[in-house]
Formats: sequence, structure tokens, C-alpha cells
Amino acid sequence: MKQFRRLAIPYCVWGIFLILLPLLMIAFYAVTKEGNAVMTWYFTGENFAKFLEATYLSVILKSFRLGLACTLICLLIAYPLAMIIIKFDEKWQTFLIMLVTIPEWINLLLRTYAWMNLLADNGIINQMLQALGLSPITMMYTDFSVILGLVCNFLPFMIIPIHTSLSKMDKSLIEAAHDLGANEFQTFTKVIWKLSIPGVLNGIMMVFLLSISTFVIPKLLGGGQYMLIGNLIESQFISVGDWNFGSAISLILAAIILLFMHWMKKIDKDEKE
Amino acid sequence: MKGIKGVVSKFYVGICLVFFYLPILVTMIFSFNSSKSLTHFSGFSMRWYGELMENTEIMKAVYVSVTVAILATLISTVLGTLTAIGLSRSKKVLKDAILNMNNIPILNPEIVTAIGLMILFTSLGIRKGYFTMLMAHIVFCTPYVITSVYPKVRNLDPNLANAAMDLGATPFQALTKVIIPMIKEGIFAGALLAFTMSFDDFVISYFVSGNGVKNISIIVYNMTKRINPTINALSTIVIVVIVGVMVFVNFLPKIQKKLLKVSKALKRAVAAGCVVILAFLLVCCGNLSMGGTRILKVYNAGEYIDLALVEQFEKEYQCTVIYETFESNEMMYTKLSSGETYDILIPSDYMIERLIKEEYLQPLDWDLIPNKKNLLPDVMNRSYDTGNRYSAPYFWGTVGILYDTAKVDEKDLEDGWELLCNPKYAGDIYMYDSERDSFMVALKALGYSMNTTDQKEIEAAYQWLIEQRETMDPIYAGDDVIDNMISGNKAMAVIYSGDACYIMSENPDMNYFTPSEGTNIWYDAMVLTRDCSNVELAHEFINFMLDEKSALANTQEVGYSSTVDSAFETMKNEDYKGVDAYVPDVENENNEIFGYQKPEIKQRYSELWTKVKAQ
Repeated sequence: MKQFRRLAIPYCVWGIFLILLPLLMIAFYAVTKEGNAVMTWYFTGENFAKFLEATYLSVILKSFRLGLACTLICLLIAYPLAMIIIKFDEKWQTFLIMLVTIPEWINLLLRTYAWMNLLADNGIINQMLQALGLSPITMMYTDFSVILGLVCNFLPFMIIPIHTSLSKMDKSLIEAAHDLGANEFQTFTKVIWKLSIPGVLNGIMMVFLLSISTFVIPKLLGGGQYMLIGNLIESQFISVGDWNFGSAISLILAAIILLFMHWMKKIDKDEKE
Repeated sequence: MKGIKGVVSKFYVGICLVFFYLPILVTMIFSFNSSKSLTHFSGFSMRWYGELMENTEIMKAVYVSVTVAILATLISTVLGTLTAIGLSRSKKVLKDAILNMNNIPILNPEIVTAIGLMILFTSLGIRKGYFTMLMAHIVFCTPYVITSVYPKVRNLDPNLANAAMDLGATPFQALTKVIIPMIKEGIFAGALLAFTMSFDDFVISYFVSGNGVKNISIIVYNMTKRINPTINALSTIVIVVIVGVMVFVNFLPKIQKKLLKVSKALKRAVAAGCVVILAFLLVCCGNLSMGGTRILKVYNAGEYIDLALVEQFEKEYQCTVIYETFESNEMMYTKLSSGETYDILIPSDYMIERLIKEEYLQPLDWDLIPNKKNLLPDVMNRSYDTGNRYSAPYFWGTVGILYDTAKVDEKDLEDGWELLCNPKYAGDIYMYDSERDSFMVALKALGYSMNTTDQKEIEAAYQWLIEQRETMDPIYAGDDVIDNMISGNKAMAVIYSGDACYIMSENPDMNYFTPSEGTNIWYDAMVLTRDCSNVELAHEFINFMLDEKSALANTQEVGYSSTVDSAFETMKNEDYKGVDAYVPDVENENNEIFGYQKPEIKQRYSELWTKVKAQ
């Protein structure tokens, strides 16, 4: 069966040039700084040191808080939804899962613009509230609008893995738990929840990863004052033009995410044992 | 499911679906709106569908999105499947190394992948465009194919392929007849995922594309200035197509059963169809790179030209114009310094000064621009380029405050820029999300020059902005301020005069003023790059834009103040009669033009501005 081994070689070469090399180049930018005409660049740690200033640390803290909030909300909405979907018969299940995934096909920016029109001070929701005789609410450019936008976009990434792990579950285990005298609550905590943990962890990883590094949705729904780590990176590359600092932040973000993933995998392993 | 529990769960599912589909429903409904508004429905009409068909820019983007998605899916599916099969037979060390590498694009934040690829393509000197976009899409699609195919391959009994080969199958036959049919579910799932990712991608495409190649997402992102329902019409079509495909795929098994007898013929037909489509795509790709004789690359701010003029120029001068847009002068500079080449740029005064100093430009030959005589004397010979050696003025204007006459007391206007700190209007203000303009407001409010290099004055302006942010809670808006002010969402906004004109023509409650402490009086001008490939054509373009007729059409479309005398007068006295924002205030001696900033001063401003925003 060794003849098939060679099939992995093209991707190996591809990956070295298009996955590893770009990362190395970012790393190179991160540890250097543009110099003068004689020495066009020099090694330095100042790009990382700069990040330790209070303002930048607060940006990363804010991103973390937002990422966690968004992940938690997604989990709280998605889990019951997946539990309900699983109780429908198979045809309905595929149909409902399809309904959940279709919005992902519509351009993310367009969906976000639609939210902007819904949530604006004189927007559609406020017009309806006024028609009902209620006073309008400010929703745009707040934590609320940003979290709403993120949750709406990333929820499917939580629903699908949870649904998959629930549907793989052996139904007779639940019956067995009931037969052995467990009530609904006990069956859930001791059986269903435990068995769905891989899916939950998968969902958490996806949503957290997406929400901590996003920059488009916060920019549109939160305004320019809503600065997250993704926006900070974008602004360093696009408007400020400090590629070295931008690369350093990118590396820090990548490191944080890798650590988080590692930790998640460890939890997953511990659970299995 | 039964009883109350069943009702509650159905209700919950319903609520979740409403949440998912509300924005999509809104998008669809407003694609049929007879007016331009995206918040008020005024009547049913198909006009936006008509405009969509005529909009060549959007249609081109649809083409790019669809073909890139198809090609990226095909290539990454083949590459990913072969790799997954190869990996299942590889030694553990190699396998783990490749799988870990494969995880990088999945785990890495999109923006980091995008930047890595941008740096790579730039430093290798690869021309950004269709090819780079396709490569980048394959980079982030393949890992998803591998992750969905690999588990299926691993679960296969390795003896199956061996058995096939023992029975006389060649390795190729074993692959296509035995292995692939058994993992086709995984392949299909991976391909679907790849297509979705590619079709909807924005971040990566945004960083790696160039030379006028844009996908739908990039077009939508550049549309922020004046979002119009054509794009809603497009997404409605996309939704209908997707739902159609989904329904078809779901009913396919039933249809297949009926067609079982003709299945072989069907398979061949499908295969032939695929080949035809591929061939067609490749031919079109060839066309996209264009065989036209004379090419002119123009780089301008977004929504800052009457595109009909570009088409007219192409026809009259028998050339192809590659027209690209930027969001800000700084973004233009980033692209330029990262190795992109253009023929004509249309940046602002201070950026022109910087480009001249850094030798990015070449002098104009005014003998080739007879329409120079049409230019207003007020826009010529300004400090950023004395004698207009390098630049031909395009539009000009001021920065001021646009306010809602129904909400703002005329008396308060006497405060000038300090109006933005009046607690009466806390939470009711849009600032402009731009480093230089925001510092201009603060410096002018404090009575300093907006070009100051005095550290104390800069520090004071920083404190002013911080304090304003704390007490007034302003929104730092980008171009979305235009739609927001048209719908009257807030009481006032710091804004460019040209945008003010447009808003005032759409919403009569709005008025514009420039504070007496002075403001930024700015000029955007056409310049020729050092590497301009066709100097003659570039001069023809500049001359064409300064023609009286085209200048009038341009200012009518864009709303900014023309630099051409006759067009300016016509707008002032007819179209924009009474809209004082159209006439920049040249009398006020406190008004200034932005000047060149030395790198260390610029860096200081950038850092402080980041801090204001990140606070």
C-alpha cells in the first residue's frame, strides 16, 4: 500500500510555501523594525514591548470578554435548539439543519448591513416600536448590537457540532438511565450532557476562534470606537502602515488561540479518561 | 412530541429561525423598494433588478466570486482527497507533521492568514489579482477538505485496496473504483464546505486581491458610502438560487431512482457538462486578463466618480481602464508602498505632498492638458504642490458640522467646534473615524494650527479627544454616517462638505456649517505615478476629466464641489442652489490645508489616535 504514500507529497510542498512561509514572514516582520538607508532593518523586541502598554492590553481584554460572552450566548441558545431538533424525525432534522446553514451562504456583510438597518435609531425595529406607541431604544453602536451580530453569524458553528454529537448518541442509553430510576434532570446531567461534550467543545472552539479575531462586524455594528484585536491589526496594516507592530499583534493573537485550543483538547482528553 | 412541551419547543425553534432569517427577509423586501431607502418601504418595484443587470462592476464581481469558488473547490477537493489518502498510508511522524500544518489555516485567525499571504505575494513580486485570489482560496479551503475526508479514509479497511490490486486492479483503478466510492460522503461534505467558505470570503480576498479584481464581498464592503438596493437584489437572487439547489439536492435521490436506467448516460452527460463549464471558465479567465491595446490603471477613493464617464472615456479613446478604489489615503499609500502599480492616483493634498517628497510621482506636462483653462483659480497653486507641477485638482471642499435643524439650537452653533462638547447633545454625535480630521477638530477647537508639531499642543488635543469621548460618547463613524444622517439617526456629524451636499439634498432638515475657528480646506487631485506605463493616455484621462461637460456630470453624480469653473457655477446656481456646503469657504483666514508630516510626528499622531479609539 506504499504506492499511495506519494499522494501526500504535493500538499507537503504546497503547505511549506503557502502556509509555513507566510507565517515565517510575519514572524520576521514582528521581530524587526525599519531602519535607515544604511541598515534597512534591524532586529528588535520593541514591537512586542509596545503591546504591553495599558491601552493595547485593554484591547485584548475587551476582545477576550466579547469572545467569551459571544461563545457563552451561542452555547446557551444552541444547546436547547440542538436538543429539540434531535427529537424530530430524520426528514425534519435534515430540513431544520439545512435551514440553519442556508444563512451562512448569504454574504456576511450583507446580513450585517441588514442588521444595521434593523437596529438604527430610526431603523425598522424602532419604527415598529413607535407605531406601537413605545419609546425608541438606542441599539446601534453598543455592546448589544455587536454581540447580536456576532451571535447571529456564528450560531450555526455551535448548533451543528452539538447536533452531530447528540445524533451519534445511542438512544438506548437514555432509556437505560430512565429504567435505572434517573429523572429527566439526572438523565441530562449524567448521560446526555456527558456524551455531548466533544460536540460542545468543538462548537466552543469554532465560535471563540471566529469571534475573537473578527474585525468587520464590530467595525460596522460597533463603530470606529469599538476597537478589538482584529481591528487593531487591520488598522496597523491598512491605515497606520506599521506592518512590524501589526505582525507582532498577529503573532500574539495566533499564540493565544493556539494555547486556547491546546487547553480545550486537554479538557477533551481528560473527559474521555 | 406532545402537549405544552411540544408547543414550547416548536416556539423556540421558530424564534431562532426568525433570528436567523430576519436580516435576510429585510434584505429581500427592500430589494423591491421603489425608492433608495433601506429603512422606509415606499412601494413595490423591480427597478433595482434592472440596475443590477446594467451594473457591469457587480456583474464582473459575481463572475469572479462564482468562478473562484468553483475552481477553488475543484482544486482543493482533488488536492485534499489525494493528500488524505496519502496520509493514511504515511509514517506517523510525517502524518502528524502534515496534519498539524494543515490545522494552521483553520486555527489561525483569518486576518493573520490574509496578512501572511499578502506579505508573501508582495515580497515575491507576484501581481495581485485573480490568480492570487484563487491561490489564497485554495490555501484556506484545502484544510477543510482534508479534515472532512481524512477520518473517512482512516476508517477504511486497508485490505480493501490490497484485495482489489491482488485481483488485478492497477493502483489507479483501486483508487477510483474502490477507495474513492467509499469515502465519497466525506469528499462531498468537504467540497460543500470549501465552496461555502470560498463564496462568502471577504477578509482574505480583501487583502490578497488587486488590479481591479473584486469579488462580491469586496464590492459590498466598498459600497458603504451609498448602499443602494441593487446589492439587495443580487443577494435575493443568490438566496433563491441556493434554496433552489438545496431543494433539488434533497429531491435528487427520488429523481435518481427514476433515472436509474439511464444513469450511465446521465453520468456521462454530467461529466461532459463539467468539462464544458471548465473549458468555458478557462476561456473567460483568459478574457478577464484582457487583450485590450491601451490600459490605464486609475486608483481613486470609493464612490468618487461617475462611472459612466469611465466607460465614455474607454470608448472615445479606445482603451481599457482598470478602475480601483480605496477607503482612505493611508490605505492607498499602503497598497502603493507594498508594490502595487498604478498610472493615475487621486489622493488628497497632504498625501500628494508626501508622495512628491518620497518620489512616487512624475511631473505633469500641462501642454497636454488644454482643459487647464477650465480650472477655478481658487484651487490652483496651493501649498501642497505650488505651481501644480504634479497635480491636477479634481474635487475640493471643507470639513464641517452637519446638524439637524429640528434638534440643534441655532444659538449653540456660535460655540464652533466646542459644539461637539455641548452636553445637551451627548450621545447624539458622529465623529469621523479619521486620524487627521479628528485631530484637526481638536486642535482647531483649542485654537492651534492643525499642522502643529508642538508636542504640548498635540498632547492637549489628545486630552480634548479623550475628554470628548468620555463626556459625549460619540460614534466614530466611517462612510455609514451618510446613510445614518439621511435617516436622521443623530443630531450632528463631523463630515466632508461634499457628503453634506448629498445628505442635504436627500434630507432637507439638515444644515451644514464650518466653525469660525477654522477648518481643513482640502483638495483632491489627479497625479501621475513614477511608473506610469502610458503617459500620453494618462494625460488624456486628466484632460477628459477636466472637460466642462464631464466635470459637470461628475459633480452632479458625486455631490462634491467641482474644480472646473463652469461646472462649479452651474451647480452653485442651479442643482445645489442654497446648499452652502457646496461652496467652500475661502474667506476664513483660519482655514488651513493639511501639510506633510514627518514620520516621527505621523507615528505620534497614529499612536494617540489608536489610543483614543481603544480607550
